[in-house]
Amino acid sequence: MEEVENAFREERSRALAILIRVLGDFDLAEDAVQDAFATALERWPRDGVPRSPGAWIVTTARNRAVDRLRRDRAFARKAEAIARLAEVRVEEEDDVSTIPDERLALVFTCCHPALAPEAQVALTLREVGGLTTPEIARAFLLPEATLAQRIVRAKRRIRETGIPFRVPPDHLLPERLETVLRVLYLVFNEGYAASSGGTLVRRDLCREAVRLTRLLAVLMPDEPEVLGLLALLLLQDSRRDARVDAAGELVLLADQDRSRWDTARSPKACASSSARLRGEDRARSSCRPRSPPPMPRSSAGRSSSASTASSSRWTRRRSRGSTAPSRSRSGDGWRKASRSWTS
Amino acid sequence: MKYALLVYADQSGWADLAPEEGERQRAESLPAWHAAFGEIGRSDPSWDGHELAPAESAKVVRVRDGERIVTDGPFADTKEAIGGLFLVDVPDLDEAIRLASIVPAAAYGSMEIRPLARG
Repeated sequence: MEEVENAFREERSRALAILIRVLGDFDLAEDAVQDAFATALERWPRDGVPRSPGAWIVTTARNRAVDRLRRDRAFARKAEAIARLAEVRVEEEDDVSTIPDERLALVFTCCHPALAPEAQVALTLREVGGLTTPEIARAFLLPEATLAQRIVRAKRRIRETGIPFRVPPDHLLPERLETVLRVLYLVFNEGYAASSGGTLVRRDLCREAVRLTRLLAVLMPDEPEVLGLLALLLLQDSRRDARVDAAGELVLLADQDRSRWDTARSPKACASSSARLRGEDRARSSCRPRSPPPMPRSSAGRSSSASTASSSRWTRRRSRGSTAPSRSRSGDGWRKASRSWTS
Repeated sequence: MKYALLVYADQSGWADLAPEEGERQRAESLPAWHAAFGEIGRSDPSWDGHELAPAESAKVVRVRDGERIVTDGPFADTKEAIGGLFLVDVPDLDEAIRLASIVPAAAYGSMEIRPLARG
């Protein structure tokens, strides 16, 4: 049923984050949310889609968690957990925006630096993105068992090493946000210039990275670095159809058919990018100088707004030969150099 | 959560110093250690910590096939040896990392953070 599928994509992480906060346990929270969606599949076709699917899912997942806890003899501090669940005041009919949003804490927990980078990526796609383990395994061309192990180990590590479930305090935020952005960029990059597999661009990963970055921008609207990353991803993504020819070969920026760029996306990105740049001076004192990954944000933006390669500013810069002393000044060298940035 | 914060440092430099020079350097480093003890105590008033005698004083005991073998020196033959440990009970890993990073040895040796296994 399509409504359940949509709700799964949009609302799963919200319900999951609330339950993890209350229970301090990823597995129990996931099982309860899974139960809630199973119930939705059974009831929504019969009774109709609830007015607020998100609130319905949170409420049902909370009730299922209580049921599961009552049956579970082994769960430590069971009564305490049930009492905390009862304090989650949410009704099926509530507007979803009235429910405390814990998703940001979930993002930071999945991207904690005590987890290995590949575990951060897998866990973020699984828990925040709601991708299934087989989906993630397919996207990264890994055996399903390997990926499942990776996720199980990461969750165990969170539990055993005491990785906190929270948005980091201000003094840790810059360094921790950097890790989060790096994870999102890694996901995008794997989709944009796939390191393995038959096709150069894997759209599912690009789409997921954009979706997660957009979510992060909603959750942290004042962070210029988040808006900057979102702008970059949107710009790069707007060119994806022109980057590969019919035979699946890479097409360099200068040779790309610009009519195939999705220009509906790039103005939005440029607006987001300039908002970031305007905010930069103000933000520099409170954030950090520059964060990951070393990306040529302004170049990507400029060349995207030009209609031909020769009219975009990086090409003009090349002919003056005044910048980037470390790179070869011959056209060919630039082409190679810019390929990793902008093609 | 309970964590052991293990202090690792290269102690070989100390062994070559004249006793009075060693004492002087030790006295010089003490205020920084006391500041760290104070900060750890504010985070967990029931903290515990011990400095270990130099690694050369270690004895290693193994029992194999019922036979006891005692050898001298630390178990692992590496330059950095464990020189002390703290036991703290703090809310989460981030706090354990913060405390470990203010221990003076973090600046010249390294600190290992190990959660105590929960029974």
